[in-house]
Formats: sequence, C-alpha cells, structure tokens
Amino acid sequence: MRTKTIAVAFIVAAFMILAAYPALAHFGTITPSDDIVAQDDDKTLDVQVKFIHPMEMHYMEMVKPRQFGVLHDGKKTDLLDKLAAAKGKSPDQDQSFTFWTAEYQIRRPGDYTFYIEPTPYWEPAEDLFIVHYTKVCVNAFGLEQGWDQQVGLETEIIPFTRPYGLWTGNLFTGQVLLKGKPVPFAEVEVEYLNETPGNINVVLPPAGPYVTQVVKADENGVFSYAMPKAGWWGFSALNQAEWTLTHDGQEKGVEIGAVYWVRTRDMK
Amino acid sequence: MKYVNCLFAVLFVVLSFSATAVAHKVNLFAYAEGGTIFTESYFPDGRAVEGGKVLVYDSKDTLLLEGVTDTEGLFNFDIPKGDDLKIVIDAGMGHKNSFTLKKAEVEAGK
Repeated sequence: MRTKTIAVAFIVAAFMILAAYPALAHFGTITPSDDIVAQDDDKTLDVQVKFIHPMEMHYMEMVKPRQFGVLHDGKKTDLLDKLAAAKGKSPDQDQSFTFWTAEYQIRRPGDYTFYIEPTPYWEPAEDLFIVHYTKVCVNAFGLEQGWDQQVGLETEIIPFTRPYGLWTGNLFTGQVLLKGKPVPFAEVEVEYLNETPGNINVVLPPAGPYVTQVVKADENGVFSYAMPKAGWWGFSALNQAEWTLTHDGQEKGVEIGAVYWVRTRDMK
Repeated sequence: MKYVNCLFAVLFVVLSFSATAVAHKVNLFAYAEGGTIFTESYFPDGRAVEGGKVLVYDSKDTLLLEGVTDTEGLFNFDIPKGDDLKIVIDAGMGHKNSFTLKKAEVEAGK
C-alpha cells in the first residue's frame, strides 16, 4: 500500500513538472471493455466515453454527446439513449468530472464501429471550441468485415490497418478525411492512454514532447505510427471547422478532431 | 509466347487462391429464434462457406443431426434439444471450427 502511495506521489510530481509544458493534448476517447469478442467472451460490452488528456490522465467535464452510435453491417444504430453519466478523476485532480458509459450487447458477427460526436467544448486557454469525432472498432465472432467503412462524420480517420488484433510494435496506418475527402499533410497527434483502469505500467514521459507524438500525413492524408507499448493508443487529426460558434456574444473558431483508438498487446 | 503468358496467369491465380485459403480460418456463428437455430458459416473476409458440413452435438457429444450449408453459408434447423449444443462446421481440407450455443440461449430461442 505504502509503495503504491509513493508511486502515485511520483506520478503526480512528474506530471506537475510536465504541466509547465503548454501543449496538453485533449482527446475524445471511446474505449470498449474488449476489442475482440469471441464465443466464450462476455458479449456485453462496457463502452466508456471521455474527454481527457490520455497520457496525464486528466479528465475534463463532458456534457452529454450530440451523437453516439454504432455502425455494423452497413447500418448505423443510434445509441444515445443508452449513455449514462459517471464521474472520474486522475490521481492528481482534486475534483471529479463527468464522463459517459454505455452497455452494448453484441449479437451478430462482424465489425462494430462505435462513434461519438460530442457537444462542442469551450476551451478558454485556446480561445476556441473543440469537437472530437471519435471512433473505435470491435470485432465479433471472427468476421472481419466493416472496419474500413466510413461512418460519414464531418471529419474521421479511416483505418488502413485492421484496427484490432494488433501487437505491440505494429504500425498503425490511417487516412484523415474531412467531409469525405483526404486531408493532405494533416497533422496527427498520438497518445498512449495511461488512464486505462488497472494499467499498472503508467508511462512517465521524460520530457514534454514525449507526451504527445506528432506525425504528418502524406499528400493523400495517409499517416503511420508504430506503437511501442501494450494498451490503448489514440490518433487525433485536428482541423479548423469552416463554421464558428458563439461564446459570450463573440464568434469563436471550432477545432474539429478526427480521433481513432486502437489496442495493442504484447507478443508472449 | 501468348500461350506461355496465359499459363503463367493461370498458375498465378491458382497459387493466390491456395494462399488465400490457407490464411483464412473458417467460422460458424449460431443463434436461436422462434424455435429455429440459425447458423452462418464464413471466412474472416465475409465469403460464405458453401457446401460445408454442419454437425450438431449435445453436451454428451452425441450427434443429433447434420446438414450442409447453402450458397450463402447458411444452415437452419428446428431446435433439437434444450441443451448446450456444439455446432461444428467442417469445410474440408482442415477447415474446421465449432460454436457452442449455451442451453440458456437455446431455451431463450424456443
């Protein structure tokens, strides 16, 4: 117990030092309790929806999303009514914040792409609103079909790598789309989800730039990143929306993000 | 020369097909609804297992019935028993897999 307390203290201290580094990357997250459902597995998924700093484990208050659904076998199903509010915080946050959870019963084979469109989040530090369209894919019963389909969000990442059954060290390749068209030279932020419940190997970044990895897409909006550790990895491509929103009577810009989550496991 | 090219093309196609088949594991999925058990057999990329042999066993490993999948990989049958049912798909050439439908799922589909 004592070791644990000391460990937590170290983590808190490390992140306090890093907090001085300005680029804290916000990420929308969707993480299912499992990314591959086989016949002997629990067929009820617990899906968690958050708005956090994945590496630092900081939560941000999240109001109820505008859209939450699943794409399976070419059909979209609205799951917004299934979302229930929950509270969470990082070890160094003294206050809890709202996130959302939903239970979903897998009934048929194939790929299930869960997607979320959050309500715009006002970020005073950046003087803009943030909307992260976030996706994750779950495979069921060995039918590997559907993971490369578009949901049809304003911006989204289309995986070019099958997004499940990934080993640690695998390369993840994806394409950034904005209104269905590739975004040339899109900048993609990559973060490891330290926040995963039960993660005993919390990563302590030795310096600021380690928190968020940055890769750029090629002229076709295609990017790649090799994931060095087991766990959940988030990819976030940010663009400025053509539309604005009003805050305190003033027109403000909107950062729209296309976010995709994948899970890696160690070879052993 | 044309003939040789053609031969190469055929050889290439034959080789690619065998490679595909090796890499692809066969799957069967089953569910019970309205007194019937529906099964579907497929390769990971979604292709149906046509003409695959389906064998249905109870919890004591007694063969209850068997059948053959249609062009869509489907084979349906009336619920034979309120028991754990092990449903085996045998697509030949070592392509075999099974799916167990739990007694509770079978009963719920009666």
